[in-house]
Amino acid sequence: MGSARREPGADASSRVRMPVPEIAVPSRTLFALRLALAALAAPLAAAPVHAVAQTQTAEGPLVSTEWLEKNLGAKNLRIVEVSVEPGIYERGHIPGAQNVVWHTDLVETVSRDIAGPEKFAALVRRLGIERDSTVVLYGDNNNWFAAWGAWVFAQYGLVDNVKLLDGGRKKWEAEKRGLDTRPAEVAASSFPVTPVSNAQRARLADVLAVARKERDEKIVDIRSPDEFSGKIIAPAGFQELAVRAGHIPGSVNVPWAKAVNPDGTIKSPSELKALYAEVGIDGSKPVITSCRIGERSSHTWFVLSRILGYPVRNYDGSWTEYGNTVGVPVTNLAGTVWGGK
Amino acid sequence: MTSATGGATQAPGREVGRFAISVRAGVASLIALGLGLGAWRLSAEPGSTRLALSLTFGALFGFVLQRSRFCFFCLWRDLMDRGDPRGALGILAALAAGAAGYSVVLGAWLPDPSGTRLPPDAHIGPVGPILALAGAAFGAGMAISGSCISAHLYRLGEGSPTAPFALLGTALGFGLGFATWNPLYLASVSEAPVLWLPRHLGYVGNLGLTLALLAAIALPLLYRLRPADAPRSRPVDPLHAIFVERWPTWLGGLAVGAIGTLAYLRVGPLGVTAEIGGRTRQAAGSFGLLPERLEGLDAFRGCATLVRDALLTQNGAFVLALVLAAFAAALAAGQFRPAIPTGGQASRGLLGGLLLGWGAMTGLGCSVGTLLSGIMAGAVSGWVFAIAMFAGITVTLLAGRRLGLLPSAA
Repeated sequence: MGSARREPGADASSRVRMPVPEIAVPSRTLFALRLALAALAAPLAAAPVHAVAQTQTAEGPLVSTEWLEKNLGAKNLRIVEVSVEPGIYERGHIPGAQNVVWHTDLVETVSRDIAGPEKFAALVRRLGIERDSTVVLYGDNNNWFAAWGAWVFAQYGLVDNVKLLDGGRKKWEAEKRGLDTRPAEVAASSFPVTPVSNAQRARLADVLAVARKERDEKIVDIRSPDEFSGKIIAPAGFQELAVRAGHIPGSVNVPWAKAVNPDGTIKSPSELKALYAEVGIDGSKPVITSCRIGERSSHTWFVLSRILGYPVRNYDGSWTEYGNTVGVPVTNLAGTVWGGK
Repeated sequence: MTSATGGATQAPGREVGRFAISVRAGVASLIALGLGLGAWRLSAEPGSTRLALSLTFGALFGFVLQRSRFCFFCLWRDLMDRGDPRGALGILAALAAGAAGYSVVLGAWLPDPSGTRLPPDAHIGPVGPILALAGAAFGAGMAISGSCISAHLYRLGEGSPTAPFALLGTALGFGLGFATWNPLYLASVSEAPVLWLPRHLGYVGNLGLTLALLAAIALPLLYRLRPADAPRSRPVDPLHAIFVERWPTWLGGLAVGAIGTLAYLRVGPLGVTAEIGGRTRQAAGSFGLLPERLEGLDAFRGCATLVRDALLTQNGAFVLALVLAAFAAALAAGQFRPAIPTGGQASRGLLGGLLLGWGAMTGLGCSVGTLLSGIMAGAVSGWVFAIAMFAGITVTLLAGRRLGLLPSAA
């Protein structure tokens, strides 16, 4: 399929097929059908370029692996991999994808903050992303850091046109779709330096107000039950710690991976609604997502805000800020208290 | 690996092991089949492609090491004691082939090497006095135990009486390395620069310089090749040449360079100590023998000793396949000669292993991970480790022989 997607006719064929995307036809038959349709549509393809470009835009916050493979050559599409494991992008990525290293590209490396306006604009220009580009993010670990990337992008106004590849790397690989080892070459964009918007971000003062019941909002803590209860401060092997264990008073615990199916795809909106409704989150009140350093919680931020449409902010300070802060209330269910031996 | 050929062309009167060739070839074939089936089965499991590749590359590496006797210590001793440069030329061939291969891969992965980035997980380590100390200790460990870690691994497959003690010593040495890491890091390693030649010279400049340096070392060695070393004129049985006779080291070197490049492309740089180090760290940690934190260690490139909870890691699969393939190769060649260790072999193995382990932990890799994979990637750390290592071997060997503690030149 890899070679077919570069033919101009193939784009036209996907246009023809777009309204009926879910037909269970054996892939060989489908391929033959697509080729036939491509041949038929080829003479017509030159004129309605704008129509083609429009139908290539996926609706909604997620794109399927199937959609992405069909649209790999689309002009206004930028594919970006944000993975945790070093070298995984270089050893094979989705054709045309560019690499973003989360711990250097998307953050300030000296102070603790997301990449500042200048740094972010430079990155986005390098990736060739314009304001109206469709950006598909994907990565390893069930899109964990890809979702974090989406949260950083959102703070610079890139919200609705930034999508996650449903299932991420895991599903793409499991379906044995093609990978490429050559770096993608795109023309730089002229993305302007944009001030950061705080609409997607909660700060310490916000969560403190909720903890002190001064504000009626919901906090979802997506860490493991043992971290939430205070039995452990962080999972083994993590360097970033807090001085106290436990959680922010009033928060509820829904580990982030509960929103994901075994194949890596995100659960259906109805399943997600039921999952969060169990702990009293139904979109009627603003929600704050929180974890240890604010990265895993971006996954839940994406699920709640982009898929369910709830009002959500991510608290990236998370437990490493809250649990280290002097004089804040803490709930510790496990009863582990500070002290000597 | 057919039984008839190996047996028929065997040199008369040579000790080839205790079992008939048919049995040996049969067992060797079974091991090869088992490794193949293992890789095939792993490759079918989702997410285990790299594990399957690790197993395959480990088996190839073990086979090549055993067949060409690719041993850093032996080559140096051959050169020092007998003026035979063939082994040394083999190492140079490996470095040249690997450096060329790495350049091709790196150029695709990081088109512009001049920035602040390093290519993903290439073994490019901090360069400073501690690295030199680690290299020298590693060299001393080689001289005392009679091999480096990778050679002990393939010799384990040959039934070497020293290898098990040396590898046990290596694990203990890693423990010692963890214990001394924090003060060394704070005193020196934290300030040591990570030097990567392509950043300053570009890929072309780096490859040119590396090949020129290797050629400059190779040239005087080539003049020492004796006519007797030229190929013999008698007809060669191909199966005998592959499975019984020792391969020319240059051929082994080219194979090592190719395996190094392919492994880097698909899995990661060659290295044999990550698993030993990781398991030691895990064990030492569970006995409470480890410092609370190993400062900065996990942020460095090299043979990472990061504790993983998987039963079979990539490096674990690599090392396991290496030993098994070397065993199969040795068995087929009649070079599997297990022996009961003497007290001297055990103590030299343990002491040498201790130094090997300390050196490999502190130097973030051994003669494979830091030296081979480092120089191939254009890391200055690879060269510094190499110089210190050969200096360490020479000094220890000469001093040990003079004091009568090490066996004299054969």
